[in-house]
Amino acid sequence: MLFSPGWRAPIRQGEVLAVFTLGLLAGGTLSAAVVWLLSGLTEPVPAPARAASIIGIAALAVARETGLLPIPLPQNARQIAPEVLQTRLRRGSLQFGFELGTGVRTYVSASTPYVLALGLLLAHRSLATTLLTGAAFGAGRALSAALTYLARDEHRDAAIAARMPHTKTTTAIATLIALSLLLT
Amino acid sequence: MPELTAGRLRRGLTEPFLPVAALSLLAVAAAALDATVLCWASVGALAGFALSGSV
Repeated sequence: MLFSPGWRAPIRQGEVLAVFTLGLLAGGTLSAAVVWLLSGLTEPVPAPARAASIIGIAALAVARETGLLPIPLPQNARQIAPEVLQTRLRRGSLQFGFELGTGVRTYVSASTPYVLALGLLLAHRSLATTLLTGAAFGAGRALSAALTYLARDEHRDAAIAARMPHTKTTTAIATLIALSLLLT
Repeated sequence: MPELTAGRLRRGLTEPFLPVAALSLLAVAAAALDATVLCWASVGALAGFALSGSV
């Protein structure tokens, strides 16, 4: 959607990607700031209990991605209106990226973002670590767009769709292993 | 042996699963080394990348 040719020709696609990435980073950072503010509420819970909860949530995410447990998760089940890209492309790309970056304005098709949000909420890390993690979330989303831009492949959507089941499962398993190692 | 053309190289380098493998290894390695910030950042990037193709 972001890199379709034709009417967008007057603005270079690389510029669109840069502005979109900026929006993603800002959106991820904002969501992380909100999580960090809320994470203070979990501080009275003993650290071992919080660590066990994070690992338990990560394990549930693996069970969900592997089809063992059909856990329904809340999401804002809508797409960001394409109109944001149809008037002012630079500002629209920034808004589009920002909304995607927050992670709460559109579909969430994988379990790991929930583990990340709840993990940061329960772990109550420093503000800097939490904000950096939020920005990294935005960067992860931007990486996907950057690779699509660089691939110059008209069948890119199909290639991504074909790898999505493995992507979601591997991501959930890696998150479980990493957080288990880190928190125990 | 198939010839390595620019198109094949580009396809290989932009393979959608490559960042998943790299970030997964980074997250686990950072956790094993107790590099807390890097571990959380890697998990953050993984979570973002897991939403590839979702708008």
